[in-house]
Amino acid sequence: MSIIKLSNITHSYGDKRVLQQLSLNIEANQLTCLLGGSGSGKTTILRLIAGLEIPQSGGITIANEQVTENRQIIIPPHQRNLGFIFQDLALWPHFTVYKNIAFGLTERKEQKVKESVYKMLDFFRLQEYAEKYPHQLSGGQQQLVAISRSLVLKPKILLMDEPLANLDVKLKRKTLDHIKNLKQNFDLTIVYVTHDHKEAFAIADNIVVLNEGKIQETGDVQQIKNSDNEFVKYFIEY
Amino acid sequence: MGRKLIPEFILRSIEDPLCTIVYVSFVSFIVFPIAYTIGTALFTGVGNNSLADNLQLINKSTFLLLAKSCSIAFFIALLSTLLGGALGFLLYKTNTFFSGFFKIALLIPLFISPYILAVAWKDLFYLCFGNTDPLFSHLGVILVLTTIFTPLSMLIIGSALSNINAQLEEAGLLMTGYRSVIFKITLPLIKPALLTSLVLVFIFSISEFSVPVFFGIKVFTTEIFTQFSAFYNHSLAILQSVLLIFLCLFLLLSERKLITDAPFLSVSGKGMRTKLFSIKCWQGLSGLMLFGWFFISVLLPFLVLFIQSFQGGTVKFIQAFELLKPTFSNSIGLALSGALITVFIGFIAAYSAEIKNRKSIIWLLLFVFAIPSTIFGICLIKFYNQPLLDFIYSEYAIILIGYTGKFSFISAKLIGNAIKQIPNSLDEAAQLTGIGHYRRIQTILIPLIMPALFAAFVINFIFCLGELGTTIMLYPPGTEIMPIKVFTIMANAPQSLTSSMTLIVFSVTLLIITALYPIFKHYSYVNH
Repeated sequence: MSIIKLSNITHSYGDKRVLQQLSLNIEANQLTCLLGGSGSGKTTILRLIAGLEIPQSGGITIANEQVTENRQIIIPPHQRNLGFIFQDLALWPHFTVYKNIAFGLTERKEQKVKESVYKMLDFFRLQEYAEKYPHQLSGGQQQLVAISRSLVLKPKILLMDEPLANLDVKLKRKTLDHIKNLKQNFDLTIVYVTHDHKEAFAIADNIVVLNEGKIQETGDVQQIKNSDNEFVKYFIEY
Repeated sequence: MGRKLIPEFILRSIEDPLCTIVYVSFVSFIVFPIAYTIGTALFTGVGNNSLADNLQLINKSTFLLLAKSCSIAFFIALLSTLLGGALGFLLYKTNTFFSGFFKIALLIPLFISPYILAVAWKDLFYLCFGNTDPLFSHLGVILVLTTIFTPLSMLIIGSALSNINAQLEEAGLLMTGYRSVIFKITLPLIKPALLTSLVLVFIFSISEFSVPVFFGIKVFTTEIFTQFSAFYNHSLAILQSVLLIFLCLFLLLSERKLITDAPFLSVSGKGMRTKLFSIKCWQGLSGLMLFGWFFISVLLPFLVLFIQSFQGGTVKFIQAFELLKPTFSNSIGLALSGALITVFIGFIAAYSAEIKNRKSIIWLLLFVFAIPSTIFGICLIKFYNQPLLDFIYSEYAIILIGYTGKFSFISAKLIGNAIKQIPNSLDEAAQLTGIGHYRRIQTILIPLIMPALFAAFVINFIFCLGELGTTIMLYPPGTEIMPIKVFTIMANAPQSLTSSMTLIVFSVTLLIITALYPIFKHYSYVNH
C-alpha cells in the first residue's frame, strides 16, 4: 500500500527545471532509496514531501491526505508526521543534545518529555552526552542525535538526505545497520536519498533511480541490478 | 634542528617580511603614539603636573558627564538595535516587496557624515515647525544618531540572519509553527549579533563628536575637545580621554570574541542558503514599514535639505560651491590615498589572521578603531607635535595616519570575512601543483576576494571623505578639507548656505559612489 503519492510534479529553481511531470508511489513500511547523481532531483523530492518546497504543479498525498496541491501547502510541514535527517544534520548549535531532542516534544506540549528523550538516548546509547553541545560530539554521535531528534516525535515516515555523506567507511557500515533496524524498531517508512548504489543495495527494499528529474527505473535490488535501462546500467557499473 | 635555536616569532617574521613591515609600521606610527600619550599621562603626569595633581582634576562632575554620555549612548544603541533588528528581519528573512532596493537604500545614512544629517534634521524642524529648539537637546542627538546607526545594526543583524543555515530553521518547522521557530531558534542564534550591535553602536555613539557639538549638547567627547582646544587644559583632556578609552576597551574586551568573529560587513553570503519566511498578506504592511523608515531616515531629510538650500536662490548655491571648490582636490586625494592604504593594511592583517592565524594585528586595529576620534586626534598631536616630527605633523601625512588608524579595522573585517569563505582546498590544490606562496596569493586569493577588496576601498573612501572627529584635531593650518570647511562655516552662516554646502558634499559623495559602482558590479563574482 502506498503511503506517499507524488502526482505529475514539476519543480524548478529559477530557470533550472529540476523535476518534470514526475509521479511516484512510495510503499508503507518499506525502505525506499532515491538513487541518482548530482542534480537528478532526489533531494528536491524529499524536500517536497516534507513541505519545505512547494511544487510548481502537481500534488502530493501522504497517508491518503492531500498535503500539497496547486502550488498550495494544505498541511504544513510540522503536521505531516514525518522526520527529516538533513545532509549536514542541522543540529541546533545553541541547544544541548537533550534540548535538541526535546525541542519538538516541548513545542507540541507533549507529556513525559524527559522520559521520552531518555528512552531515545538510552536506545542510541547517548545518555552520557545529554548535556553536551553538538560540537562536542563525534560525527557518528551527531548522526545518532539527529536520528533521535526525529524519532522521538514518533513519525510514520523518516526522510533521510544522504545521511552518511560525511562519515568514514567503518562508521558508515555501523550506521547503515542502525538505519536498517530503525524500520522494524519504530514501524517506519523510510525514504533514503543517496548517490551511492552500494549504499542503496545494502539497505533498500525498493530503489528509484533518477536522472535529470525523471525516473529511470524502479524496483527491488535484484530488479535494479538486472535492469536493461542504459542509464541504470551505466550508473551502477561505477 | 637549527630552527629551534631561533625564537618562533623571528622565524615567522623572516617568512612573512611584508606582514612584518606592515605590523611594525602600524605599531610605530599609530599604536606607539597612543600608548606614549596614555602612558605619559598615567605614569608621569602631563605638563608640569604630577599624576596625583592630575587625578584631582577628575571630579564628580567628570563622572556625572560620563554617566550622562553613557545614558545617551545606551539609548541610541538600544533603539538602533531594536529598529535595525526589525528592519534586518524583514529584509533578510522574509519575502517582503523590494527587499533588494531597501537593502541598499536604507544604508545611505551610514555613509553620510553625521553632521550633514544633523543639518538636514534642523532644516526639517525649521521648515515644519518654524522652531528648531526641540532638536537642540538630548532628544535631537538621540534622534539623529539613531537614524545614522540603525543601518549599522541592520547590517550586523541582517548578516547574522542570512548566515543561519536554512536547515536549522527547517528542522524546527517540521516540529512547530513559524512563530516558535523565530523566537526559539532564529533569535537565539543571532544573540551574538544583537550584542555586537549594542556594543558597537554604544561605542560609536559615545565617541560621536559632530552631532552633539552641532546641537550644543555637552557630552564627554565635546568636553574633551573644549578642554584641549579652547582652554588648552591638556592634562584634563588627556585624563578624560584615558577614562573613555578604558570604557570602550572594557566593552570591547567583554565582547571580544563576538566582535572580532562577527560576520558584519560581509560582502557576500555565497554558498549559504537562507530560509525566507513567507509573510504573504503581511507583505504590503512590511513594505509600508520599510518605506516609512526610508522616508524618515533618507528621503525626508534630503528633500528638506534640497528645498532649504534653494530658498537662498542660486546665489547661495554658487557661493557654497565657490567656498568648497578649493577643498575638492585635497579632500578627494586624501580620501583616495586613505582608502588605498587602509585596504592594503586591511588585506595584510586579514591574511595574517585568517591564513597564518596571527590575530594580534587584528587586535591592534580593533584597539585603535575603538578609540573615539577626538581622543585619537589628541594622542597623535601630543606625539607628533615636536620639531623632529614636524615633517609629518605639518603635512597631510598626519591626516593619513589618522585615517589609517580609524578605518583599517573595517577593511580588515570585510576582507577577512571574504577570505574565510574561500575553501582551503582551493589554495591547497594550487600548492600541490607547485605554485609558490606569493604567486598563489596573486593568482588564487586576490581574484577570489576582489569584490571584498573593492567594497572595502569604496566604504573607506566614503568614511575618509566625511571624517571629522580626528581631522578637526589634526588638519595642518592653511589646508582646506571639505568636512572641516563646512563645519567651521556652519556656526555663523545663513541656513540656506549651510544647506547648500551640505548638499554639495552629499552630491560629491554620491557622484563618486555612482562612478565606482559599475566597477564594483563588474568585479562581483564575475571571476567565480
